[in-house]
Amino acid sequence: MGLFSRRNVLAILLLLALIVPSFANAYQLFVGNLILIYVLLAIGLNVLVGYAGQLAFANAAMFGIGAYGTALLQVHLSWPFYLAFPAGALIAMAVGLMISLPALRLSGLYLALSTLAFAQFAQWVFLHWDTLTFGAGGFKSPPISFAPLPLSKPVGLYYLSLITTVCVTLFAQNVVASRIGRAFVAVRDSEIAAQSLGVDLLRYKALAFGISGFTAGLAGGLYSQLLNFVSPEGFDLFQMVIQKSTIVVGGLGSIAGSVLGAAAIVIILELLREVKGAQEVFFGAVLIFFVTFLRGGIVSVLQQRLRGWDEPLHGTRGTDAKSAPQLRLDEKESLP
Amino acid sequence: MLLFSYLLLGGLTSGVLYALVALGLVVVNKSTGIVNFAQGELFMFCGFLAWTVHVQFGLAYPLAFLAAIAGGFLLGVVTDRVAFRSLAKTDVVGLVLATVGLGFVLRGTARMIWGGKGDYLSFPPITSPEPVMIGTIMIIPQQMAALAGALVIMLAFAAFFKFTRAGKIMRATADNAKASTLVGISIQNVYTLAFGTGAAIAGAAAVLAAPLSLLYPDMGFAFFIKGFAAAVLGGLNSLSGAVVGGLLVGIVESMAGGYIHSNMMEVAPFLLIMLVLIVCPTGILSLYKARDV
Repeated sequence: MGLFSRRNVLAILLLLALIVPSFANAYQLFVGNLILIYVLLAIGLNVLVGYAGQLAFANAAMFGIGAYGTALLQVHLSWPFYLAFPAGALIAMAVGLMISLPALRLSGLYLALSTLAFAQFAQWVFLHWDTLTFGAGGFKSPPISFAPLPLSKPVGLYYLSLITTVCVTLFAQNVVASRIGRAFVAVRDSEIAAQSLGVDLLRYKALAFGISGFTAGLAGGLYSQLLNFVSPEGFDLFQMVIQKSTIVVGGLGSIAGSVLGAAAIVIILELLREVKGAQEVFFGAVLIFFVTFLRGGIVSVLQQRLRGWDEPLHGTRGTDAKSAPQLRLDEKESLP
Repeated sequence: MLLFSYLLLGGLTSGVLYALVALGLVVVNKSTGIVNFAQGELFMFCGFLAWTVHVQFGLAYPLAFLAAIAGGFLLGVVTDRVAFRSLAKTDVVGLVLATVGLGFVLRGTARMIWGGKGDYLSFPPITSPEPVMIGTIMIIPQQMAALAGALVIMLAFAAFFKFTRAGKIMRATADNAKASTLVGISIQNVYTLAFGTGAAIAGAAAVLAAPLSLLYPDMGFAFFIKGFAAAVLGGLNSLSGAVVGGLLVGIVESMAGGYIHSNMMEVAPFLLIMLVLIVCPTGILSLYKARDV
């Protein structure tokens, strides 16, 4: 184990994250919190796309469903946040499981299309179901208080996000290192081979969609509190592109990569906040660049440069050239 | 009757436009196996190009039309050379992500050049905007112009594939890439040509659509997803299927908007896509599997 092994780097990042509220100003704390939320999103998406290989575009919609679910349960049914937050995530997970049903029959491009259509449909519901979602203008979500604890709302929310993110990261690390993670990778690399080894496609695809839906829902609940406001605008295709950028930059099929990628992307996003056009050009270019020239993302560079970055099950694509020819055969079939 | 004919004509008009977008997608997919997720943005970009030529430089409409087609072809060729050439060997995930990325580069560029969010540029109509009544049927000349234009483009396109050398080369490659290499066809050039042709059709479609739909940087995605749906309905590999699919999407959208609720217009195509993909993906899949064997 080198000094900069994966575990050490993540531990240092965690320590850093713990002390952020002691020196950061309000804006820096906001950005820190946003990074944590995007780490959640990136991990969920990476389990689905990077490990299980399902090319889905519905994550932004699940993020929205989590945000709307959490906030609307508080507004309409006046549930407390601590009930509404997990409930919102569970709703997003249920929707994720629902989407996984067509995914069983569809692969590659067809899955991309059906999930894109679903994402558009979800946004349409946010926009037009006025009586439930308050339409295009959005609505204020009631702010939470951490009353018995001596914490202001931003700091409290930051620590809540941090605890959630750490739990999800550990959970995801363990999932992908387990039998389930190996099954995901088997499904990604060849569905037929996976089936013949006794991997139940329905179960594992549903599981991947469920995990990604649940984490996106958690992220959405935290996001609604971070902004104190929910509107349909934040959950469009551009949101999806940002999330895809985080996992492509970090490294497809790497939990640590998701963390690094999310941090990098959010910081750049904030730097370019002034000009929406510049954000779009930049993230588009980032996607093209990483897919074309650096398929394994940041993590593949770290793996080459630093000892102790051995990431199990990561990088059968791009970084590990030897297994590429076998992949080709399989993927040719899923191309129309 | 009045409402029905109005909806049908409106649906047909948007249908042929979706069909043109779908044709661009199918041409690229047939010869390269890539679905270009940036097709909608190419469409939007060409529309803005034509606007610049027609409105800002004050050149005639046919010139703007040619400029959009030429601009589209050039954009297609450049994107192929810059991005897709090195991508030809990666998997579906990589290809989709890269073309989505390309789409956003174009969208952001258009937003920075031609105005901010919510800015709609109007494109002057080629015909008088007054509707004409024939019996109980109302006809909007601009729609007729778009329909006729689209028909001409489709015919020209069919002729291109049937009679020209470049068209024959592309068909040969789509049929059997290895065999066409053996007879001396450069696959790389065919790919470039396919991207160029696909984007050129998008350009032509954009000039026809612009007077009806106005121009805004986010317009591309709506046209893309409906064109994609049309292409999938037609089997993603068939040119005539793309046209039928486009008309179907356009008419369903228009009828849903007229008879159910105007809000339904935006969402009907997506429900149609999900329904088709969930209920009978085997029908669509079996079409292309049959080709592969």
